[in-house]
Amino acid sequence: MSLRNVGIIYRKELTDSLRDRRTLISSIVVPILSFPLLMLAIGAIAVFVITKTTQQQQVVALIHAEQAPDLAQRIRRERNLRVVGDAENYIQRINDKSLQAAVEFPTGMEEKIRTSPEEPQTVKIYVYEDELRSSTAARAIESVVRQYRDEIVTQRISSRGLEARALQPFKTEKQNVASAEKVTGNVLGFILPYFIIILCLTGAMYPAIDMTAGEKERGTMETILASPIGRGELVFGKFLLTLTASLVTTALSIISLGLTVMAVPFLFSQLSKKFVVAVSIKAAAAVFFLILPLAIVFAAVMMALALRARNYREAQSLLAPLLFLVILPALASMVPGIELNPRLALVPVMNVSLVAKEILAGQYPWPFIGIIFGSTCVYAAAALFYARRQFESEEVLFRI
Amino acid sequence: MIESLQLCKQFQDKKRGVVRAVESVSFRCQPGQIYGLLGANGAGKTTTLRMLATILKPTSGTAKVAGHDVVTEPQKVRASVGFLSTATALYGRLTAQEMVEYFGRLHGLDEGTLKKRVDEIFNRLNMKEFRTRACDKLSTGEKQKVSIARTLVNDPPVMIFDEPTVGLDVMTARTIVGFIRECRQRGKTVIFSTHVMSEAEKLCDTIGIIHNGRLMAEGTLAALRTQHNLEDLEDIFVQVVGDQK
Repeated sequence: MSLRNVGIIYRKELTDSLRDRRTLISSIVVPILSFPLLMLAIGAIAVFVITKTTQQQQVVALIHAEQAPDLAQRIRRERNLRVVGDAENYIQRINDKSLQAAVEFPTGMEEKIRTSPEEPQTVKIYVYEDELRSSTAARAIESVVRQYRDEIVTQRISSRGLEARALQPFKTEKQNVASAEKVTGNVLGFILPYFIIILCLTGAMYPAIDMTAGEKERGTMETILASPIGRGELVFGKFLLTLTASLVTTALSIISLGLTVMAVPFLFSQLSKKFVVAVSIKAAAAVFFLILPLAIVFAAVMMALALRARNYREAQSLLAPLLFLVILPALASMVPGIELNPRLALVPVMNVSLVAKEILAGQYPWPFIGIIFGSTCVYAAAALFYARRQFESEEVLFRI
Repeated sequence: MIESLQLCKQFQDKKRGVVRAVESVSFRCQPGQIYGLLGANGAGKTTTLRMLATILKPTSGTAKVAGHDVVTEPQKVRASVGFLSTATALYGRLTAQEMVEYFGRLHGLDEGTLKKRVDEIFNRLNMKEFRTRACDKLSTGEKQKVSIARTLVNDPPVMIFDEPTVGLDVMTARTIVGFIRECRQRGKTVIFSTHVMSEAEKLCDTIGIIHNGRLMAEGTLAALRTQHNLEDLEDIFVQVVGDQK
């Protein structure tokens, strides 16, 4: 195989791809813009909803308010709550969302608190579970009720000559000892392996189709087959461009995702400021070296499959099932309870997903990393061999 | 020179079983001559020429092209052949010059020689005007010129044309016919396939009539006329092919 010829094919395919609007959009524009736009949209919606909900008064009904006039008064004074007098059909109204919550006081509540302290009273709060406005109303009510209860407890303790501190003989303090990198790594390790694997696959898809089925459709396949270069050189040059596109798409997406995550707290002050992206160079390099042979597998398999198609559309149909085949094992990093073991270390895609999760969380299971890198390299070599065989098959090239 | 020796090609078809596209085709074409392969659609012309250009491998038999064996030295054969057909399209996103340069590099030309060669061809074919225009933006005639330039860039001794004028307008077809004649004048070995009788009459030194994958008749136009006692090539063709039906 002549490396000069491989280089000539690669340069030509690169020039060709960079002039193709569809390739530029799928490999560069979409990966750069998709995450920021998605995050901006989600952030803007979240901020809008949170702001609106916190500024808006929630409508609350008090049932038997005369049984607890003091507590009822405190609820009425709550700024974010608007108490309505009419308590008819409150369950129906909560379901209709015209009422966010209702508070029901037991008979003789405040009287019994004073006279029968050993008999606990139950205040019922009616809500629409998991509905944002209803939950906000419930939280505000609970806060008022809790404060009221704490005051009663303090009074009772004082009347017995004790101090409120007596109720708290000790307190617990939680302190984070994990580095920012590990805290971030745990979160990133959960989602990032899946994204990286899927991006590697989708990044290779368009160029793989364009340089195989696309060439057949445009009638240039016979032109290049009539040139004196070897089939191996042709396959390798095209494969390298597919791999480049796959890695560029993935890298751009990850950089864009990282920048977006870092920018979100500055853009939306209402959202959390705690998330700090910190991935060590060692972890990034380890993930890259494990992803590389997997990207080779994807590029080679997609080229080989797309070559079997007569045209672009047929190639898309042929490659669509591959996406589903990859999504399932790639999801392994997101499923709790799936841990790396010697058997799973040989399952393509899933092995990389699981080990990348560990690496991003700061763990380096070296024996598994070795097995996974080695086995994925074997799969990559097999995929390349398969792609080369497809380019030598007259049946595949000419569908005869 | 091209020397075809008992070339055979079989395909496995799901519906039809084994299809014998080309059966024991032997002929010889000398430098400075044009050999015309005349046949109806599906006769086996394209398959024969694709085997000579080493795009397809023969099932049995072989051929020598410019002294190289198509079975054992396919890359050397391709380096000695300029192959032009309606199926050999251009890369639409490359400019005319980039397209020709790309194939020059694939033929192993160094940058100095390539530049000289490209300038010479673009001057000769009067292509300067659209040199930097993307192939997708060219007219049919201009595209044909780029295809011709591609086949000429390494100055191959053998030219193979597979129905090069199909679907072209009269003026573009004339350009191609003129180019084929010029190849003969320059001492190249030329083989071309067609089903247009007038083209074969005008151009060919030797005509081979192919039907159902077999070479049914061969000779100069004069020899075929004498042999079949007919003047018109179309009548000769119908008689040869008709005898087999």
